[in-house]
Amino acid sequence: MVFADVLTLLVNSLTWAMATFLVAAGLTLIFGTLHILNFSHGGFFMIGAYAAYSLTQSLGGSESMAMYLFGALVGGVVVAALGLAVDRLILRRLSGVDDAYVLIATYALLLVCEGGTKLIWGLNYRSVMPPTVLDGAWLAGQAVIPKMSAFIVACGIAVFVAMEFFLNRTRPGRLVKAIAADPWMARLLGVNVRLVYTATVAIGFALAGLAGGLLLANQTLSPSLASGFVIQAFGVIIIGGMGSISGAFLGSILLGLIDAVGQWVLPSLPGLPFFIAMTLILLLRPQGLMGRRH
Amino acid sequence: MQASLFVGSHLRRDLLILLALAAVGLLVPHLLNRGLIFIAGMVWINAVFGLSFNLLFGTSGVLSFGQAMFYAAGAYATAVFTQQLGWPLVPSLLIAAIAGGLLAGCIGFVALRRSEGVYFSILTLAFAELVHLLVANTGFLGKNDGLSALPRPRFSLGGWGWDLSRGDTFYYFIVLVSVALIALLRWVTGTGFGRALQAIRQDPERAEFLGIPVQRHRWMVFTLAGATTAAAGSLVAPWAQIVTPELAHWSQSTNPILYTLLGGSAYFWGPVLGAIALSTVFYVTRTLVGLSDLVTGLLLLLVVLALPGGMLGVLSRWTTRSRPAHHKPQEPRP
Repeated sequence: MVFADVLTLLVNSLTWAMATFLVAAGLTLIFGTLHILNFSHGGFFMIGAYAAYSLTQSLGGSESMAMYLFGALVGGVVVAALGLAVDRLILRRLSGVDDAYVLIATYALLLVCEGGTKLIWGLNYRSVMPPTVLDGAWLAGQAVIPKMSAFIVACGIAVFVAMEFFLNRTRPGRLVKAIAADPWMARLLGVNVRLVYTATVAIGFALAGLAGGLLLANQTLSPSLASGFVIQAFGVIIIGGMGSISGAFLGSILLGLIDAVGQWVLPSLPGLPFFIAMTLILLLRPQGLMGRRH
Repeated sequence: MQASLFVGSHLRRDLLILLALAAVGLLVPHLLNRGLIFIAGMVWINAVFGLSFNLLFGTSGVLSFGQAMFYAAGAYATAVFTQQLGWPLVPSLLIAAIAGGLLAGCIGFVALRRSEGVYFSILTLAFAELVHLLVANTGFLGKNDGLSALPRPRFSLGGWGWDLSRGDTFYYFIVLVSVALIALLRWVTGTGFGRALQAIRQDPERAEFLGIPVQRHRWMVFTLAGATTAAAGSLVAPWAQIVTPELAHWSQSTNPILYTLLGGSAYFWGPVLGAIALSTVFYVTRTLVGLSDLVTGLLLLLVVLALPGGMLGVLSRWTTRSRPAHHKPQEPRP
């Protein structure tokens, strides 16, 4: 195996990892704070992607970088608004409910997202060209590095750094962490816990919509987009340790590498190493790499 | 409390319900057209699938998101044994059930030992995806295309024969096997083992104190549910005459969850009612793409948020005014 192959493999796995992390970021934030494993996250990611698609198409295509980013931003805002509605109508009512029912309720919400997407946008596959700036690739010797891949990796790292900065270095972020650790004590100290929960849901959903818009040109749009990504993101946040942002970041890189190596060693069984690795890690360390036992 | 709903105190009533269901089921071919008879057969199979799931969830409180792997195991085992090895149907069905039980035994041994709650649900989901991927990539099992043109063999016992390939006869066979499986599941629920499972559901710690081997019981019920699920799956192969990897996809795993919750997980007959109701929803909304997902999702949300007892819960509230307490109280969110 020559250097160029290794580099290509590395680029592919990092792209996979950061795409997954972009989807998993909001999921892990909501799980870490509200302790709700949101099955519908992939559905809202998909809605973000479709919203960004519709906006950029109606404004004349996504060739310009500014338009592409604007589409992603609008996708984030639209999904954040939906998140506020979901919080008000559903998530708040799940507070006293058994974990199994929370999982089932958010799965029902995923069905609603999928059904709604099929009704509004139809079953057809749609593909979006990347903006002209990101179209094409750099050549590093024999290796090809698509500019879109570099963009996704940059987005993933940017979101990771922003979230770590927010959670560890800012006052509202520390408040979120404090509430995640002990909501009872926080309430006792006069913190408006409900407001922080609502804000967390809004941020988590905004991240899902943003991810949808940013990854728009990286895959074809279809109503089956949600279920594929939600399983992938579940794997990543569980391996990382539920609720830990850095754990999700590491988990996605680790699973991306395993997936890439798997494609090289076992090309006939795509996706299999991902599930084997996920199962093994869960069995050896049920709380995840960076998680603590609840 | 909901426990009293499940304990085998209404054996005679449930036997009458089963006989009534069987009678209605046997009348179906005289009343409906061919397409609807096919759906009716699927409803029977799905009812067994849902009841097997609820033996796990409703009785012992274990939520598996991967039951499709056992369903697919049963379907593929039947397909391979009847088509490729030319075995008669009934031994193939038995082999299919054993295959599902073995698979469930292995997976339950690993998954129940190391994980609880949400972790267990996700782990079963991962295992099911593993099985789905393996099936979709195994040449012997037809890869992504699956196995098609499956036979509905002749059923013979001594000198008496029953040709299942002709007309509606296979539908009657499905009714027969389903009724037997439902009777088995109902019987298990009422045994001492079934009651021990209900104790585990209510309070695992207390059950442990009372001397119930919680982990072993959970493993046993997981294995049993895997076997009966595989038996349901084994009927699908000759009925649809095709098996595809879709049978093992995780969206298939969620079907019995939908049936159970819609019908009412605290009731033995909940999954049956749910299977009938959802099949009706799918049939009515079949022409408009996406509507069935939307309606199913909204119905399920309504059940979880507003009617936690499911359809039978509403029904029993009308008749007895006793409300099943479904949700475990937890620290409320502000």
